Amino acid sequence: MSVSSPPTVADAPTPHVKPQADHSDTAKTVVQRIADLRAWLFLLALILGFEIWARTAFSGTFILNPFNLQSIAIFAVAPLLLAIGQTYVIISGGIDLSMGFIMGLAAVVAAHVINGLTPGIGMPAAVMAGFVAAVLVASVPGIINGLLVSRLRVPPFIGTLGMFGVARGVAFLLAGGTTVPISNSFFAYLGNGRFLNVPIIVWITAAFVLIMHYVLSQTRFGQHNYAIGANVQAARRAGIDIKRHLLRLYILSACCAGLAGVLYSARFNAGAAQAGEPLLLDCVAAVVIGGASLFGGSGTILGTVAGAFVIAVIQYGLVFVNVEPFWQFISVGVVIIISVLIDQAQRRFSGGRVDE
Amino acid sequence: MKRRSLLKTAAALAILASTGVASLPAHAQDKKYTVALIPGLTTDAFYITMRKGAQAAADALGVELVFQGGPEFNPVVQVPVLDAIIARKPDAILIAPTDTTQLVEPLRKAQDAGIPVITVDTFIGEGKYQTGSGDADFPLSYIASDNVMGGRMAARALAKAIGEEGKVYVSNVKPGISTTDQREEGFKAAMAEEFPKITVLDTQFNENDANKAASQLQAVYARNSDLKGVFGANLFSALGAGNGVQQAGQTGNIKVIAFDAPTSIVANIKDGLVDAAIAQHPAEIGYYGVVSAFAHLSGQSIPVSIGTGFTIIDKSNVDDPNVAKYVYSD
Repeated sequence: MSVSSPPTVADAPTPHVKPQADHSDTAKTVVQRIADLRAWLFLLALILGFEIWARTAFSGTFILNPFNLQSIAIFAVAPLLLAIGQTYVIISGGIDLSMGFIMGLAAVVAAHVINGLTPGIGMPAAVMAGFVAAVLVASVPGIINGLLVSRLRVPPFIGTLGMFGVARGVAFLLAGGTTVPISNSFFAYLGNGRFLNVPIIVWITAAFVLIMHYVLSQTRFGQHNYAIGANVQAARRAGIDIKRHLLRLYILSACCAGLAGVLYSARFNAGAAQAGEPLLLDCVAAVVIGGASLFGGSGTILGTVAGAFVIAVIQYGLVFVNVEPFWQFISVGVVIIISVLIDQAQRRFSGGRVDE
Repeated sequence: MKRRSLLKTAAALAILASTGVASLPAHAQDKKYTVALIPGLTTDAFYITMRKGAQAAADALGVELVFQGGPEFNPVVQVPVLDAIIARKPDAILIAPTDTTQLVEPLRKAQDAGIPVITVDTFIGEGKYQTGSGDADFPLSYIASDNVMGGRMAARALAKAIGEEGKVYVSNVKPGISTTDQREEGFKAAMAEEFPKITVLDTQFNENDANKAASQLQAVYARNSDLKGVFGANLFSALGAGNGVQQAGQTGNIKVIAFDAPTSIVANIKDGLVDAAIAQHPAEIGYYGVVSAFAHLSGQSIPVSIGTGFTIIDKSNVDDPNVAKYVYSD
């Protein structure tokens, strides 16, 4: 990835990336700025809503309770890591349905490698080796996804759906159909310990988010990603190597899933093949709530962060204020629909193309 | 050791052992029977252990065992597998139906094709067979743990651990699964009848997501600082709840009772993440499933229901080999 080279004038011809009618970031109207921030505004409104609810219903506090903040942050880690990779893929106009099971595959690989190496090379070294092995193994389905999509022109939805099944089968085979317990107290500390009273996995995730935000917003790789998602023909004419970019892109999303799998296994002290299965829809939902368009060309990492926290706050908050469990399904569904409606309305309002 | 079994089980097994098994292998030489075992899902330690028990019986009796199923606990996935098995015309089908009503008609096809059906772990209709009433009484036998009883045992274990008073709740997968629904039912019934000083809060559904189960525990604790215990009705519910307790820094203060005993539960009990686990005996279910099918095919009568027992595993007995054999293994 061309992380090292921020875009310069010499990097043109990078075509314009936003599907909106305006042709530069500085010309954004106030309306658009607000629309771009909608996920954060939504999050703020939700938190305020729960705070008022807690104060009036049982004179407690929701957001001023550090325990709640910590719990929500831990809750958001796994879906957010998947959503970061998914954001890149969705901006390019694709989707990666295999992420959930690549995460499970990485969790199982990490468990086996760490268990196998701990007696030989010691705890921290085994954890490092398990970390590297898990991400490397996770990148294999990513490479295959990338080749399918870029060289063989398989639609991403279909190609990654196939890999969904393959990764799942391989993960279960490796795990022997069960969960693999890990005995390495350093790894368990990594998954459950705290640094400056913030869980270590939250620190790791925050650092990763910042890097991925920088790559998407400040580097040529990120610019190319927007360009391909906005108009693949224009991107090709502008000289972007689409095949190479798509291959790297799906490796990137698989590595995000790999990281999520390693942190999951650290936290639960076990590698479980089905670890990421329930998270796949949540991660796509986080990206959409965060303002990315499923048609490609728009979306930001910071928006996705807000999207992931919207889902986490709703699900945690409804339990905290003690609402009937089934409302959780309904409320997350409603938030997704509202987000898409706002997106459509914004495009119409700003004179941009409305995807039919 | 707190091992208990249902008397019914012992009786049924004794009958089987004395009448059926001993005299049957002679017949086995005439014809090698094929018995198909269709689990609720193939990727679960519970069913994998059940398969081991079934294979042990099949080897002992000279039966060929076919094991096929879907990767998800879902009728849409299970029915095509069932159809393919029926097309192969095995001598008997053992199945853990993934839905009490949706599997009735697909299984009737097997019955119509002359293939006897025995359900294991889960059931169709009401789970009462050969009664002549209803349209789902055609299976010959239902072989399973009594999950309501298991829930009651979980309630008693949790009550004992928390000194019989305080707030607890059930961490469950999702509504509509016969076995986990029954565990919750038994748990709540025992709490209401036997432990008046214990308050059972609303059940939290985690959709088999340990991450969500952990977050729910933290939210319930944030709201109820006097929370004393949680019953995780399956593996991921318990694993998640246990991690939630750890993240909340309440290890030891909030007790966790788990249902089912995959290999990872041993480490969880030793680490103190889980205080006790209610282990079913899936190998027993598989073993007696094959034995019952074989007995029927050889012209013997078989009981319409066989209940298998439970074992409570906790720190005091987790290293005992007599208990360790009930840990599900692949």
